[in-house]
Amino acid sequence: MEFGFTEEQEKLRKEVHEFFLNELPEDYVEGLGSMSKELQSFWMQLQKKAGDKRYITPGWPKEYGGMGLSGVEQAIVAEVEQSWGVLWPNFEGYIFLGPGLMLFGTEEQKKEFLPPIIRGEVLWMEGFTEPDAGSDSANINLRAVEDGEYYVLNGQKTWITGWHKPDWIFCQTRTEDTVPKHRGLTLFMVKADTPGITYRPLPGMGFATQNELFFDDVRVPKKNILGQLNNGFYHMMAIFEYERAGVGGGAGAQAALRRFIHYCREEKKNGKPLIEDPEVREKLARMAVENEMHRLIGWHAQWWFANRERLGPKPYDFSGYWAKQLPTKHAEWMLNIMGLYGQLRAGSKYVKYDGRLERSWLSGRAMHHEAGTIEINKNVLAQRGLGLPRIPAKFNMTIAQELSKGG
Amino acid sequence: MNCELSEEQEMLKTMARDFLEKECPESFVREMEEDDDGLSLEMWHKVADLGWLGLVYPEEYGGTEGNILDLAVLHEEMGRAMLPSPYLSTVVLCGLTILNAGSEEQKADLLPKIVSGDLILSLALTEPEFSWDSRAWEPEGITARATPDGDDYIIDGSKLFVHDAHIADYLLCVARTKDEGKPEEGITLFLVDATSPGINITLLRTFTGDKQSEVIFDKVRIPKKNMVEELNGGWSPLSRVLQVGAVMLCAEMVGAGQRMVELTVDYAKTRIAFDLPIGVNQYVQEHCVSALGDVEGSRWVTFQAAWKLSEGLPCDFEVALAKAWTSEANERYCCRCHQVFSGVGTLLDDGVLPLYTRRGKSKQLYLGDASYHLKKVADEVVKWPPLEKPKGKPLGIFDVNLLEEEQVPAWEPWRERYEKIEQRKAERRAKKSQSK
Repeated sequence: MEFGFTEEQEKLRKEVHEFFLNELPEDYVEGLGSMSKELQSFWMQLQKKAGDKRYITPGWPKEYGGMGLSGVEQAIVAEVEQSWGVLWPNFEGYIFLGPGLMLFGTEEQKKEFLPPIIRGEVLWMEGFTEPDAGSDSANINLRAVEDGEYYVLNGQKTWITGWHKPDWIFCQTRTEDTVPKHRGLTLFMVKADTPGITYRPLPGMGFATQNELFFDDVRVPKKNILGQLNNGFYHMMAIFEYERAGVGGGAGAQAALRRFIHYCREEKKNGKPLIEDPEVREKLARMAVENEMHRLIGWHAQWWFANRERLGPKPYDFSGYWAKQLPTKHAEWMLNIMGLYGQLRAGSKYVKYDGRLERSWLSGRAMHHEAGTIEINKNVLAQRGLGLPRIPAKFNMTIAQELSKGG
Repeated sequence: MNCELSEEQEMLKTMARDFLEKECPESFVREMEEDDDGLSLEMWHKVADLGWLGLVYPEEYGGTEGNILDLAVLHEEMGRAMLPSPYLSTVVLCGLTILNAGSEEQKADLLPKIVSGDLILSLALTEPEFSWDSRAWEPEGITARATPDGDDYIIDGSKLFVHDAHIADYLLCVARTKDEGKPEEGITLFLVDATSPGINITLLRTFTGDKQSEVIFDKVRIPKKNMVEELNGGWSPLSRVLQVGAVMLCAEMVGAGQRMVELTVDYAKTRIAFDLPIGVNQYVQEHCVSALGDVEGSRWVTFQAAWKLSEGLPCDFEVALAKAWTSEANERYCCRCHQVFSGVGTLLDDGVLPLYTRRGKSKQLYLGDASYHLKKVADEVVKWPPLEKPKGKPLGIFDVNLLEEEQVPAWEPWRERYEKIEQRKAERRAKKSQSK
């Protein structure tokens, strides 16, 4: 058992860290996303540069733009990225589509879709959630109906994250009605400028770039089905295994804390630096403890995943559990340290810490449910992880009928 | 990064679990709690025969040269079984101090006897005046005095909450030998024969399932050669050993917590209410999930700290955070498990849960509670240097003032909002430059 890394791994970490150290400008401010056209083009260019060096996906096979290394190196890179506050424009391509193609793609699909991802030239958006299909992810209603060499898509997607205009959309559709809900789903790769697709912004508190997508008679070639027809649900579950909410989270939060600690060194309260106030110190300590605990839980999950062929499926994984609770709590604590000043927005007279905390506080609300609600997370942990009993879903309709009777 | 135990550690864990399941059942734990000594010498010698007492000592003293991580593996199993023993006091707190700071003579004399189970030691550290808070574990909290007198020292003072003093052959007494300078510069460690005249040991009554005593030193005379480490040099080796001890307590809490969760989940699956197992209720599931989450968190922070101690890496941060987290997590999951068990979980005669939760309290507090260790974490964390500043040419596109407006991407569906925001910003800039 050990908690350190090999020389090569440390070398990779240092290299990627220095890449950002040298490539990011002196006046870099983390977490601004792509709020301007200049920022958009900056991130796309940096993504290409990093992709050329294979820094983005070291865990992918060499032929697909990786270094042929493992999930551990992937997680190391994620930690470095998160500590710099970097989120690649095509992060959904890297997290979902790449693994999806490598797991289920045909050779032609891999040849067509992977190289642009590797070169950092293309942007993918994922389309799973619908107004009535969030936690109940199999309740998909976007219909795909066969028509010759095409499928025709009609329906709606929501809560689609997208800082950038996408080139491609990766979505779950319903292709079969006569079977249980989760057995009639198919994954499609849809070119984003296909006629019939429209977008509408959904500004919200959190990751404030959510969109709605509308599909009106959108024609998608059959060859863009990922994996098997009607097997989309299971393919999706397999791909979600790759979405490790944990590892980068703890390290990223610890870096954000370091930034905040430095602020507490310089800011004064009653003539003394914040950092000398015992209440502030206690909160800083608690945040550091929880971030480190979360980081280790994430590493345990990542290590298991990298060794899953030998170890089998992991019985339970708490990385998402903490990732969904700590950001809100910590943002709350940091804001409370500022007393009444915590209410001020960036640009206001008297605002503290450049008003950065407003954003983390607001987006903290969204962390509860991004990539799955914490309630579903807990259900899965309890029922699949601990084997606690679960009322079979087949009784749900009966229960719903009883409830509507007022019984 | 490797989260698996080595083959030897797995063997140690399995052997310990099998032995303790057989030799240390619940009934034995209860028996020892009622017993005045709280120790079965027969059991102690069995433990010695297994080589556990020499786990981290060099071969020359009869040990097996294991490391702190091995020790943590063993402590997890001892915590799971609630083994009533002076292991921590003898092997870790006193034994490791002697190993790290004792003279060759002291090591040769005492360590082999510890390994063979023929010597029990107890650390007399905390004092009545300072038992209210963190100062129990700080050099300021040491006022028991050792005064030189010819070839001897005379110890006067009072220690409280001394674990295993009542059965100890020797007490390792932490005493003050100098007042000037910093508090930690005036502390000396002394091995005191527990039968020395002037020592008064009174067993306290605790509900925490362990045996703690008051130890009064009334003009206790001890030879100079019983000093461990040099005069006024006691605090440094002691504080290192207190770190190891704290991590071992964490490992015990992890072992206990793991079993508590197992028992709780089992109960939730089998206890029927309203015709269904109570585990079907999400509130009950929440208790179980929360408890396991806390135990898992405790496990990894504890083993990281143990690994760092094994490797001799600097780990003040990791040790403090392990004890802080594990102590508070223990409070939480003890509570959660009791909530699932409800009435049944409070029965003193039959229920195993109270055995665990009562012991948990002692482990939360011993060698520094969460509040003490959080202060230590804070001391480390405020030393963290600021993040490095990137070196690229400034581009003028990362403007923290962008935060003034709601964040809005600069592509098609957002165009209207984006342009409105750009317009507002332009107007504000114009106003600002006008007012200048």
